[in-house]
Amino acid sequence: MKNASLIFKKEIKEILKNRSIWLPILAVSIIFSVIFPAALTLGLEGIIKDPDAANFINKVFQGTDNLQLAMLQFMIKQFMIFLLLIPAMLPSLIAPASIVLEKESNTLEPLIATPIKTGELLLGKTLTSLIPSFSITFIDFVLITIIIDSIAYTRFKLLPLPTWDWAVVTFVLSPVISFIITMICLIVSSRTADIRSAQGIGAVIIFPIYAVVGLQIAGLFLLNIKYLFVVCAVLIAVCPIVLKLAIKIFDRENILTKWKMK
Amino acid sequence: MIYVENLTKKFGAITAVDNISFEIQKGQIFGFLGPNGAGKTTTIRMLSTLIAPTEGKISIDDRNPDKDSGYIRSIIGILTETPGMYEKISAYENLNYFSSFYSIEEKSRKESIEKFLRMFELWERRLDPVSTYSKGMKQKLALARALIHKPKILFLDEPTAALDPESAFMVRSYIEKLKEEDITIFLCTHNLEEASNLSDVVCIIKSKIIKIATLDELQKNRKGKKIEIILKGSSSKYLNLIKQFNEITYIKTDKNSINLSLENPEKTNPILIKKLVEAGAEILYFNELKASLEEIYLELIRG
Repeated sequence: MKNASLIFKKEIKEILKNRSIWLPILAVSIIFSVIFPAALTLGLEGIIKDPDAANFINKVFQGTDNLQLAMLQFMIKQFMIFLLLIPAMLPSLIAPASIVLEKESNTLEPLIATPIKTGELLLGKTLTSLIPSFSITFIDFVLITIIIDSIAYTRFKLLPLPTWDWAVVTFVLSPVISFIITMICLIVSSRTADIRSAQGIGAVIIFPIYAVVGLQIAGLFLLNIKYLFVVCAVLIAVCPIVLKLAIKIFDRENILTKWKMK
Repeated sequence: MIYVENLTKKFGAITAVDNISFEIQKGQIFGFLGPNGAGKTTTIRMLSTLIAPTEGKISIDDRNPDKDSGYIRSIIGILTETPGMYEKISAYENLNYFSSFYSIEEKSRKESIEKFLRMFELWERRLDPVSTYSKGMKQKLALARALIHKPKILFLDEPTAALDPESAFMVRSYIEKLKEEDITIFLCTHNLEEASNLSDVVCIIKSKIIKIATLDELQKNRKGKKIEIILKGSSSKYLNLIKQFNEITYIKTDKNSINLSLENPEKTNPILIKKLVEAGAEILYFNELKASLEEIYLELIRG
């Protein structure tokens, strides 16, 4: 564990020095967790005044007597699905960088020649991607809660957040998505030698999340607690499979003989 | 210290290392020579437990790499072909990071970092990012990294390849000093003069071991000997006389000197000298020329 934490600390230091990694993370976080929620909550009254929007909400939340709360709940469901992009996007930026930077500087061989265990190396790399992803996602969720609740309370005396599905997304689904994407990115990065192609592949990996976002926006389904439990169960079942694959790839011999190097 | 028996490594259909065996004693410098693709790096990787052999047996400090790979990696230092340093962080941070994976007390680790940075004249630049370093500085830093945990065995892959003559001299002198400290050194180099000056034993490899011996033994067992004869006056007029000797395999005359290679010199030399003197030659010097490691290496590699 000590060795994994050494890797984690060094990697975080390097990531902080690499603006091309943390700048997109910061931008996406600000857009999704501050600007969008604030703008939409502030503009809620205007949206409700639109008869089409009111009709739509009445259909979705049949028999609602509080249109404002129903609209807020609908918006929260949209944010929630948008926010799934963050735990997916962050590992796709960090994990490939963490591997490819090692390749670019030819540091993998001297690193694995130390007494470090390959499991510790994998754990260190995973934490480098997972901890910032989970922390930033959590901060974003907290920010959204504060922003939506404070605006909704001052204007409509409502506190729409947190909800149960919100908690499931924050504490279960997001970390699981982060973990799976991290593992897939680590596996894929072993086959690429430059950061652009690694992150390009990372962007493709998160495509299913975009698809889910698109489907909900298109009105084909609305994420609810039942769906969330099913999705979480499926994804949790996938975790050991990707972990097993990553462990296989993070074998010393594989690193030296099968990984694509610069 | 290092014992290797019938070691083979195959990558699919390619046999990178083919059934090699050797033994290296504690404190020896083992020169490991061979052309590119001869299996030198693969051998180092197997000995340092980074890759597993396909067949054969390895023992490092009486330990089996299958069971004690962690221990073996803790007592070895490796200088890889490329320096491999994190470019965005400083030299000091690099050494601090790599050395922290070994079980060394922080105080002695920091003392060691300072000692090697000063020794390799990098102390003044210790806080600069490695990306600002020259190739030679990076190589010295990589060597410092290999030494920082006081390894019992040192694997050096081209240690002076990127260094200027002064730094290369300093590194060679340091390698000699390490030998006095009983550190076993596995030296891979294309610099045959370096191998010749530093190695106790030389191993020439081209997937299989072609020859393994001390430099003296290599010179002694070489087919044919080289002789240099310095005459008073021109040497060319004795060329036909020398050509009559079947034992002589190579002749070159230049002004007053004759260079030749011959089989069985103990038998041929007295007759040759006698014939030359009878033909009127005044012999100033008659020397046996010891073959350089380069000549021996090229002969062996070319078969």
